[in-house]
Amino acid sequence: MPAQEPIVPTEPATPFTATLTRRGFVKMGGALFVSIAVPIEIFGSTATANAAASESRTSLDPTQLASWLEIRSENSIVARTGRTETGTGMSAYYAQVIAEELSVRPEAISLILGDTDRTPDGGYSAGFLYGMANVRKVAALTYQALLGLAATQLGVPVSALSVTDGIVSGGGKSISYGQLVQTQQLDLKISVTGKYATVDPSVPDGNGLAGLDGFSVTGDPPMKPVSQYKVIGTSYPVPGIPDKVTGKARWSCDVALPGMLHARMVRPSTLGSTLISVGALDKTKFPTAEVLRKGNLVAVVSPNEWEAVTAAQSVAGTAKWTDWSGLPGSENLEKTLRAHEWGAPSQSKGNADEVAAALASAPKTISATYELPYVRHAPIGPFVAVADVRSDGSVTVWTHSAQSQGLRAQIANTLSVPAEKVVVRWLDHSGQYGRTTFGGDGAEADAAILSQLTGKPVRVQWTLQEDLAWSSVSPAYLLDMKAGLDANGRVIAVHSASYTPHQSDARLLGAILAGMPCSTPRPGSWVATEWPYDKIPRRLEQAYGMPSLGAESAYGGLRGNIMRTPGQRQQNFALEGLLNEAAAAAGVDPIQFRLEHTTDQRLIDILNATAKAAGWESRTAPHHEARKTGTAPVTGRGVSIIVRSNAYWVGIAEIAVVPATGKVQVTKFTIGADCGKVINPRQLGLCMKSGVVMGLSEALKEEVSFDKSKVTSTNWSSYKILTMEEMPDLKIVQISRDDKGFGGGSEAANAVVPPAVAAAFFDATGVHARTLPLNPARVMVLLKG
Amino acid sequence: MPDEVTLSVNGAQHVVSAAPDTPLLYVLRNELKLTGPRLGCGMAQCGACAVLLDGEEVRACVAPLSYAVGKRVTTIEGLPGVWAEQRGLSPEDVAKTLHPVQQAWIDEQVPQCGYCQSGMMIAAMGLLAKNKNPTVAEIKDAFTNTPPSPHLCRCGTYAAIIDAVQRAAKSMQAGKA
Repeated sequence: MPAQEPIVPTEPATPFTATLTRRGFVKMGGALFVSIAVPIEIFGSTATANAAASESRTSLDPTQLASWLEIRSENSIVARTGRTETGTGMSAYYAQVIAEELSVRPEAISLILGDTDRTPDGGYSAGFLYGMANVRKVAALTYQALLGLAATQLGVPVSALSVTDGIVSGGGKSISYGQLVQTQQLDLKISVTGKYATVDPSVPDGNGLAGLDGFSVTGDPPMKPVSQYKVIGTSYPVPGIPDKVTGKARWSCDVALPGMLHARMVRPSTLGSTLISVGALDKTKFPTAEVLRKGNLVAVVSPNEWEAVTAAQSVAGTAKWTDWSGLPGSENLEKTLRAHEWGAPSQSKGNADEVAAALASAPKTISATYELPYVRHAPIGPFVAVADVRSDGSVTVWTHSAQSQGLRAQIANTLSVPAEKVVVRWLDHSGQYGRTTFGGDGAEADAAILSQLTGKPVRVQWTLQEDLAWSSVSPAYLLDMKAGLDANGRVIAVHSASYTPHQSDARLLGAILAGMPCSTPRPGSWVATEWPYDKIPRRLEQAYGMPSLGAESAYGGLRGNIMRTPGQRQQNFALEGLLNEAAAAAGVDPIQFRLEHTTDQRLIDILNATAKAAGWESRTAPHHEARKTGTAPVTGRGVSIIVRSNAYWVGIAEIAVVPATGKVQVTKFTIGADCGKVINPRQLGLCMKSGVVMGLSEALKEEVSFDKSKVTSTNWSSYKILTMEEMPDLKIVQISRDDKGFGGGSEAANAVVPPAVAAAFFDATGVHARTLPLNPARVMVLLKG
Repeated sequence: MPDEVTLSVNGAQHVVSAAPDTPLLYVLRNELKLTGPRLGCGMAQCGACAVLLDGEEVRACVAPLSYAVGKRVTTIEGLPGVWAEQRGLSPEDVAKTLHPVQQAWIDEQVPQCGYCQSGMMIAAMGLLAKNKNPTVAEIKDAFTNTPPSPHLCRCGTYAAIIDAVQRAAKSMQAGKA
C-alpha cells in the first residue's frame, strides 16, 4: 500500500490533562444524533427512505471523538466504523475491544458499520487489526476523558477512581457514564492521519484507488494492561447472529424502496463481445418490463421481479453480439503463462548474487515448479445492489461491499459526481472473501447506471451463472522454486519466482460495459510471503506480474482480483512444497526439518503443540508402504505452516488415496494457531475450522475453467466446492499469548491447508503433488506420470 | 397473468396475486416480506432458498407458486410457531419462543456470513423430523445427499452445523428450546 498522506493535520491530542468542555450535540450537527436515535426504515417503507438517506451527505469528522463513540444517557454506547462485518465475527471483536478499554459490558455497545455518512474512518473491512487499533485508541481516550469528568463530579482524584460496568466509583460515591455525559457528548479532538478513498490513476500499486486505508487514529493513549482483561479472551457471541437465525436480519438483498424497479442484466455472449442489436421485447408477454441499454450494458427492468427475470431471459435469446475469442482456454493455461515474456519482476526481495552463488556451490539442489489454477470467491449469494440516483444528482447505494468508501469513490467517478453527493449504506450479505476489498466488483455500478437512466431506484440481482462468469477471479500462479542443501541436509539458500496475471482489478463491471469512467488497474505482483525460516541464511524472492488473460478485450478479460490470503496463499503453497521436498531429500521428518530451520519460539511452540494434538510420529516421507497403484486406499500425512499478520499457523493433514480411481479423501485435519492474544476463543475456533473447509475445497476441487471466449464453470456442478460429507474430522489447537499483541485470526486458515494435503499425498503415494486441485482426473495423471 | 391465490404460510392464510409459474421464493420475499429464504443459485443447487412444504424441504427458487397452493409453507420466521404448536404454547408465547433448531444455531454461533443458514436450518428441520438423534455421519449424509443437491456453505461452517443439529436434537427430545 502507498504511504498515507495526512490531509487532516491536527494537534496531537492531549486528553489526559486537557480540561474537557461539554456542549450540546446540536452544535456538532443535530442530524448525526437524530439519524442514530431514529433507525432509518428502508425496507418497504413509503415515506422515510429518501428523506432519511438524503439528510446527511458526507462522512463524520474523524477528528471528533463523538464521531467514533457516543455515550447515551441510558449507559448504552454507539460505536461507529466504516469497516464492516465480513462474517468472521469482527462485530463481536470490535465490541469486546471497546468494552475492555471502557470497562463496560460488551452488550452495552452497538455498532454502526460501513455506512459512509454515519461513520468516520473508512478503511478495509479485512484490516481488522488496523480497525481495532483505531477503536481501541478511541475507547481508551474516552475512558481517560470520562475519568476526568468523574473526578470533578465526585470530588475525588482520578487515581482514586475505579470503573465497573460503566459505573465510576471513588470516595464512597459513584456515577455512571450516562450520568456523566447526560444527553451531551464529549467535545474532544483526536489526532488522525489518512484520507478518504479516491479513484486516482496515479496510484502505482495496481487497483487505481488511493486512501483505501481510510483514517488512522494516532498517538498512544494508556491502554488497559492485558493482565486486567475481563472481556478480551472471552467468547462473547457475535451480535448479529440471533436476527440472522430468526429471519429478522435485513440483508442488502432485502432493500425495497418505493417505486423501485427490479433489474436483471443481459450480459455479452463472451468476455469480449460487443452489442450488435438487442431485439424487441414482447410487450404482450412482459407488459411492464422495459429494456435498457447504455453501451454494452443491457438490462431488463420491471416493477415485478419475476417479470424482470423472465423478460431478461427472453432478451438474452434475441440479443446479438460480436464474436470474441481472446482467451487461451484453461487447458492451455500453463503453456500460456510459460510463454509470456515477463520482463523484470514487479518486486524482488533478497540478494540475487549471493543466492546464485550459494545455489551453485550447494552439494545438493532441488528444483520444482508449482502450478495453481484460477479460482474464485464464489459466495452462495450472487452480487446484489440497490441504487437511487436522484434528479438533484445525489446518489444512495445500498451495498454489501467490504470497502464502502472505496465503492463511494468508484460510483462518484463513474457517474461523474462529487463523492460528497454519494452515500453508501452497508448491509449484511453473502461473504466476499476479498473480492470487494478494493471497493470494486459487484452490482453497484449496474444499479447506479440503471437508476440514472430511469430516474427511479433500481435493484440489480446478479444470477449465479452471471456471477461465476463475470465477477473477478483469483488468478493462476506458476512458481519456480529452487533450494540448495548443504552436506548435512540443511537448506542454505532458496530462490522463489512466482508468475501470475493481474490480481487487483477493482473496476465495476457495469461501468466497464457502459463505457463510463472506471478506476485504472495496473498489472503487477508482489512478494507476499512473511518469511518463517530465519535459519535459512540466503533467499531471493521474485514476483512477476502480467495483465489479466484476455486483457485486450473491451472488458478486461479474466479480471484478476485478490482473494483470501492473496498472493501469500499461492506463494506459501510453493514454499511449503519446497520445504517438504527438501525434508524428504534430506531424510528428515518434515516437522523436525522445519524446527531445524527456525529460531522463532512462537513457530516452534505451535508446531510442537499441533504435532502433539495430531499424534504425529516422527519419520521421513514418503511412508514405507507408499504406492501409486491398486484399488485399496493408501494413507499419508503431511504438514505445512504459514506466518501472516503476527500469527503462526500449522496444518496437519491425514488423507486416504485410492490410486485406481484417483479419489483423495482427507480423513482428519489438525490446525494450530498462535495469533497473539486471543480475543474470542470460540470464534477463533470456528474460523479455524471453517478456514480449513475452504482450504480443502481449494486443495481438492476448485478450478475455474474457460474456453477461448468465456468462463465455462458457471454453476455449482461445474465450479465444485467442498460439501459437508467431504469435511474430515477437524481438530484445533490454540496458543494465546499475553505479550505479543494481537494477530490475524482468520484469513490464513485456508492457506495452510493445500500444502499439507499435497505433502500427505506425497507421503501416501511417493509422488509430489505440485499442482491443484487434487481431483481424481489430476491425481490419475500424477500417478501415471 | 397474475392470479389471486390463497397461500398458507407460517400458520396464516395470505391472498397473493402472482403468476402461477412464479417461483415461491419471489412471492415469499416480495409479496409477503418473508426474507429468511434467500436467492442463491436459482437452480436448486445450493439450498439457500429452502422452505418446508407440509414439513418436507423444497427449494423455493424453482418450486412454482401453484405447487405450494393447498400446502403448509414454513420459513424460518415460522419455526417458533411450529415449536409452540408442538409444545402446546399459547400464541402470545410464540413471540418469545425460538425453535430448538434456532436456539442451537445461536448457541453454536453457526452463521458466519449466514447467507446459507436459513436453508441449513430448514434442512435440519427436515432431517430431525425423520431422525430424532442423527449421528455425525447421518447429518453429513443428509446435508450432502438429500435431493436435489447438497446444502452448500462457502464460509465453511459445516462443523458448527453438525454440532448445532446434535444440540437441537437433544433439546427437542428434552422438550425445551
